[in-house]
Amino acid sequence: MFGKKGWLGLLMTAVLLLGACSQGGGATTTGTGGSDANSTDASGNEASGELAPAKLKIVLYGDESNRMKELAKTEFYDRIKQEINAEVEFQFLPWTEYAGGKTDLMLSTGEDFATYTDANYMVKSVAKGLYADLTPYTEASDDLSRTVDEASFKAFQLSGKQYAIPVGNKPNSAEFYSVLVRQDLLEEVGMSEVTSLAQLEEYYDKAHAAHPELIGYAGVDARRMLLYDYTDKNLYWQNDFVALDESAQDDRIINWFESEEFKKYAGLMRGWYEKGIIPKYAATNVPQLQSDWNSGKAMFWAGTAARPFEGAATISQAVPDAKLVNYFLGEGRPKISRGTYSTAFFVSSAAKDPERYVMFFNLLQKDQELYDLFAYGIEGTDYTLDENDRITRLTTDSLIPDWLLMNKNFIRFDNSVPDDFIAEYKAWDDGAVISKGAGFNFDNTPVKNEETKLNGVLTEYLAPIGSGFVDYETGYPKALERLKAAGIDKYIAEYQKQFSAWHAEQNQ
Amino acid sequence: MSKAENKGLLIFFYICIAVFSVICFAPFVLAVSGSLSTESRIAAEGYSFWPRGFSLETYQFLFGSKLEQIVRAYAVSLTVTVLGTVSAVLVTTAYAYVVSVKSFRFRNVFAFFAYFTMLFSGGTLPWYLLSTKYYHLDDKLIGLIAPYLLSVFLMFLMTNYFRSIPHEIVESAQIDGAGHLRIFIRIMLPLGRVGVVTISLFYALQYWNDFYLPLMLVTDERLYTIQYLMYTMMANIQFLASGNAAQVGGAIIAPPLETAKMAMTCLTVLPIAILYPFLQGFFVKGIVVGSVKG
Repeated sequence: MFGKKGWLGLLMTAVLLLGACSQGGGATTTGTGGSDANSTDASGNEASGELAPAKLKIVLYGDESNRMKELAKTEFYDRIKQEINAEVEFQFLPWTEYAGGKTDLMLSTGEDFATYTDANYMVKSVAKGLYADLTPYTEASDDLSRTVDEASFKAFQLSGKQYAIPVGNKPNSAEFYSVLVRQDLLEEVGMSEVTSLAQLEEYYDKAHAAHPELIGYAGVDARRMLLYDYTDKNLYWQNDFVALDESAQDDRIINWFESEEFKKYAGLMRGWYEKGIIPKYAATNVPQLQSDWNSGKAMFWAGTAARPFEGAATISQAVPDAKLVNYFLGEGRPKISRGTYSTAFFVSSAAKDPERYVMFFNLLQKDQELYDLFAYGIEGTDYTLDENDRITRLTTDSLIPDWLLMNKNFIRFDNSVPDDFIAEYKAWDDGAVISKGAGFNFDNTPVKNEETKLNGVLTEYLAPIGSGFVDYETGYPKALERLKAAGIDKYIAEYQKQFSAWHAEQNQ
Repeated sequence: MSKAENKGLLIFFYICIAVFSVICFAPFVLAVSGSLSTESRIAAEGYSFWPRGFSLETYQFLFGSKLEQIVRAYAVSLTVTVLGTVSAVLVTTAYAYVVSVKSFRFRNVFAFFAYFTMLFSGGTLPWYLLSTKYYHLDDKLIGLIAPYLLSVFLMFLMTNYFRSIPHEIVESAQIDGAGHLRIFIRIMLPLGRVGVVTISLFYALQYWNDFYLPLMLVTDERLYTIQYLMYTMMANIQFLASGNAAQVGGAIIAPPLETAKMAMTCLTVLPIAILYPFLQGFFVKGIVVGSVKG
C-alpha cells in the first residue's frame, strides 16, 4: 500500500518537473521567434518612411530621484516619442543587480529591455546568446558616433560584431596612474608639488607630523601610480593577472604575478604598509578607506582626469576648502587609454525592436540640446546658465546619471570649477595612446575553472602581498605554489593564444 | 547552601544576559544617534552613542523629499503584512489539518509533496520564469503575498500541534455529525490558538522584513515596500564603496548621506520594535509546541 503511494508521489513529481522544463524551453523559443518576426516588421515600416510605435524599457541602476520620475513621465517621454516614436519606460534597480542578479534573470527569461554593461559581462552574456547583435543597426547611431570615439565602439565588438553601443566621451587615459593629492594639506606643510615617490613620502611624513589622525593612502592598490619607480615598461593591465607592455610593439602578454615587476612593487607596498601610509585596518576593511577619503581623512588617492572636481564635491562636505590636484610620480611615458566611453548599452536578445533601442541611445548623445535635457533637465526649472555657460543646478536630484552621459563635447561645469581645471581636464588626453589591447575581449570559456580558482588564490594569497600586508619573501613561495596548482600556466597560455590571434588579425 | 549557590548563579546569568543585550542593543542606539546628528559632524568625527550636534534635519529632509514615497511604502508593507499573514495562516493551517487527519488516505502523499520542496528547489530562474511568465505575479500586490503562502516548516509545526490535540475530541464531534470544515474551524483552530499565533508571528515578520519579492517582481514604484526602499539604499552604498563602480566608468557617484541612511533604518525598525515586546510571549510558547506531549 505504502509502496503504491510512494510511486504515485514520484510519478506526479516527475510529471511536474517535466512540465516545468518544457515550459521553460517553450518560453525561450517563442521569445526568439517573436523577435525575428517583429524586427522584419520594423524594417518593413521604416522602408515606408514612418516609424511604427514601439515600447522600450531602459534599466538603470541606483536611486531614482523624484525629479527623474516626473520627467520620465512628461518631458523625456514626450521628447523621445516625438523623436523616434517610442514610449520609453525607465526601470531603476539597485546596484547589486548590475551585471548579475536580476539583470541575469531578466536576460535569461527573455525580457525585452536594454541597459549598460562592461566588457566582462558582455563576453559572458554573448557566449550564452543573451545580447542582440547590433551590427545591422549601427547606422541608427550616426549622431552618437560623431561624438563618441571609434575605439570605444571597438571595445564592445566580439568577432567583428557590435554587441553594445558605447556612450560618453571623457578624457580617461591613465586612469589611476596619477596620485590625487590634497593640495590644501600639501601647501599647509610647506610643499607645492609632488613629482616623485620621494616627495610623496616626504609629504606623508610632514602631513603625518601635523595631523597624526589622517591616513596616508586611501587605497590598497597602487601598482599604476608607482609604475615609474619599479619598472621602465609602460604597463597596462588587462585584468588582475595579465598586463601588457605598451612601450613594446609585440603581442606578448605579461604574467603579472610571476614578474620581477610584481616583486619590486610588493616591496614598495610593504614599505608603505610598515610606515603606516596604508593604515593597518585596510587589510580587513577596504570600504572604510573610501569613506575615510570622502570625509577628508586621507592624504592622497588614485587619480583620474575627472576626480579633482568630482571628488572635491564629496570631500567638501567635511572639509569645505579641500583642493585636489593630480600628480604623476614620473614622466616620459605616454598615457594609455582604453577608449573614452563611460559605459555601453546592450539590448537583450529577446527585444522586439533592437534598432529602436539604438535610436534611443543615439538620442542620449545626439546634440547639446538633448544632452542638456537628459543630464540636467529643463532650463529655468532644473538649472540656469550664466553668460559663460556655467551651470547652476536648481535641484540636487540626478536624472539620467551624469557619469553615464558625460561627454566632453557637451558637459557643463558649475561655478566652483576653476577655468584652469577645465582646461586641464579637456587637454588630459592630449598625446594619449589607445592601448594595444583595446577591443580585445578574452573568451574565458576554455579556462573557466582555472579562472575561478585563480580568483580565489588572488584574494587569499596574492592581494595581501600586493598590498603590503604580507611580506613578499615569506608569503610568495606558498602563493606561487597555489597559483600553479590553480592553473596559472594554462590560463596564461590560453590568454596569449587568443591575444596573439586577435593581434595578428588587427595588424593584417 | 544550594539556595545561596543558586542565587550566585542567577546573578551571574543575569549579568551575562545584561551584557549580551547591551551588545545587541548598541547598533540600534548608534542608528538612532546617527539619525539625530548633523551630517558634517558625522563625516568629520564618525558615529557616537550620543548624537553629535543634535538636529532633526535628517528627518525633515527625509519627510520633505521622500514623505510620499515613505508613506506609500509603509502602506504597502502594512497591507502585505496583514493580508499576507491572514492568507498564509489560512493556507498553512488548512494544509496542516489535512496532513494531520489520520483517516485521510493521501495525507502522506501531500506531506511528501510539501517535504520534497524543503529538500529540493527548482532554483531562482525557473521560479522567476514561473512567477512572471505563467502566473503573472509581476507588478501586482498578490505577487508580494502568494509566494510565501505556505512555509513548509511552519506547516509541519502546525501539523504536530494538531496531532497533539486528543483524537477523541475529533471523534466525538464526528459522531455528533460534524464535517471536516466544521471540525477545522470550530475545534482545531480554537484549540490550536497558540500554534496559530506563533505561525502568524513568523509570517508577519517574514512579510514585513521581505525585500526579495519586490526586488524580483516589482518595477512599479507604487508597490515598493519600506524594506525594499531600505535595501535599495543600502545596496547602492555597498556597491559604490566596494570599488566595483570603477568598472562602470571610474566615476564617483555621490553616496546618500550617512544620517539619511540611519534615519531610514530607524523608520523601518520602529514598528517591529514597538510591537515586539507585546508579542514575544507567544513566540516562546509557540516554539515549545509539540515538544511536550500530553
